[in-house]
Amino acid sequence: MSYAGRRLLLVLPMLFGMSFLIFALMRLVPGDPAVAVLGFKATPEAVRALRETFHLDAPWPAQYARWLAGALRGDLGVDFRQNEPIGAMILARLPVTVELTALATACAVLVGVPLGLLGGARRGGGADRASLAVGLVGVSIPDFWLGIILILLLSLGARLLPSSGFVPLTEDPVANLRHLALPALTLATSRAAVLGRLTRAAVLDTVHRGYVRCARAKGLRERAVLWRHVLPNAAIPIVTVVGLQVGYMLGGAIVVETIFALPGVGRMTLDAVLERNYPVVQSAVLVIGALFMLVNLATDLLYGVLDPRIRLR
Amino acid sequence: MRRRLGRRGGIALAGLAVVVALAAVALLGPVVLPGSPTAIASDRALRAPTPREPFGMDDLGRSVLSRVVHAYRVSLDVALTSVALALVAGVPLGLVAGYAEGLLDQLIMRPLDILMAFPAILLAIALMSVFGTGLLLVSVSLGVVYTPILARVVRAAVLVAKAEVYVEGARALGAPAGRLVLRHILPNSTTPVLVQASVLMAIAILVEAALSFLGVGVQPPTPSLGLMLADGRGFMLQAPWVVVFPGLAIMAAVLGFNMLADGLRDWLDPGVAAR
Repeated sequence: MSYAGRRLLLVLPMLFGMSFLIFALMRLVPGDPAVAVLGFKATPEAVRALRETFHLDAPWPAQYARWLAGALRGDLGVDFRQNEPIGAMILARLPVTVELTALATACAVLVGVPLGLLGGARRGGGADRASLAVGLVGVSIPDFWLGIILILLLSLGARLLPSSGFVPLTEDPVANLRHLALPALTLATSRAAVLGRLTRAAVLDTVHRGYVRCARAKGLRERAVLWRHVLPNAAIPIVTVVGLQVGYMLGGAIVVETIFALPGVGRMTLDAVLERNYPVVQSAVLVIGALFMLVNLATDLLYGVLDPRIRLR
Repeated sequence: MRRRLGRRGGIALAGLAVVVALAAVALLGPVVLPGSPTAIASDRALRAPTPREPFGMDDLGRSVLSRVVHAYRVSLDVALTSVALALVAGVPLGLVAGYAEGLLDQLIMRPLDILMAFPAILLAIALMSVFGTGLLLVSVSLGVVYTPILARVVRAAVLVAKAEVYVEGARALGAPAGRLVLRHILPNSTTPVLVQASVLMAIAILVEAALSFLGVGVQPPTPSLGLMLADGRGFMLQAPWVVVFPGLAIMAAVLGFNMLADGLRDWLDPGVAAR
């Protein structure tokens, strides 16, 4: 079986396990979900009607089978409160989260990789110490605090960028970027620091290898040695961390979307948790978890491209 | 001492110094400081920092310094409890999985892999939505989130230690499995566990603050650094100190644990230090 096929086969049981875990978790919520949604003043008739509409009286395995079968068809059920299809709610908000994550990833890679490369190539020098210090401070900054400080300085203070709201890319690309600039920067900072630290370690692992010495002995310039020989061979751990960071950013998006009032899946999930809207929590957590897993799968597949030996194992 | 430890050992010591200082502040601060973290005084609302109140006052006239010091207790409490819970659950699971391998390994690690497949904050929020909010529940939720991470680290360390000559020697001498694991493998697997525990303490402080900031963590009136930031957001333009100092406090604590983890890793693992 092909490398991609084998990786995909491993993802399917994980997705199944993930869906079961989320479903079981939501069923552990103490009390009657219908009462939680309608409130303690709800009439018994209203509670009974809600339980019937959402099949809450059916046994757990039947409820799970119904939800899973629906999810496989792309039908995630209906929201307890607004009676909206959850799939449509998630689809409407997903582009915001995906764009935010993509922009933040681009920022993190563009800053983190050169920072680590600079430090690793000049180990022990001033640049290395500076990159180490920046990395250590960067990973220690809480992103929600950084978001607040950026709003305070660049939005409310200097009035350079908007502090909240969202304009779709298709409507006005410039306004879209202006609205996403601060959230992406907030999300990217600590990830750039992690990436910088890891790139440095990966470069240090590679710079003493024979082929690097050989490239130097041939008289190649240091920059060419770094970009053509060191970086491609240090790429696997870097790509691994980029993949993991994308996943963590999907989680971090919950915080950043809340601070900057972005209408993404993260904020929707948090609102659903606060409103005890369990069908939405269940489906949104599954979608974010599945995205995280798919990003990891894409990372695995990229290994095979970066190092063809991996495909043969 | 300094020469024996080297520069990396110095970083570990500096990190340890920060952590010890913060712990001292958390333990002794509430006794030493005169102000109450919950005493409301509307006449002093949003008063700027002064030599007597160096962090200023919040919107309800409460001392920001006093609240930060009390909130440190909460942060450290959550960090220690969650990591301790994860150690209690994760270390035995990782030991058994790594030592047994085969079916038992699969039975232990695959469900843990599913837990690890969620971004940590998302899983913590999902757990909080089920079990409710509050200090203990934040710690338990984070303990659940961290258990698979520690189990995986221990399992990897056990797999390495198991192949060492001293373990083979002890096995050849007829040491039973329990003795092999507890006397030979476990002590030689502690470095990555220590480092990971220190990293997780830093992350726990961040995640607790984030959960409280989002309203699903520690609940008022318990002071939490995340809650202080959430409350202060509405006043940050006229009184920036209500958000600046709690944020710097979180950063100092996280930086301390990260420095400790970095220094420990480099100091205890000569392979890394040589790089």
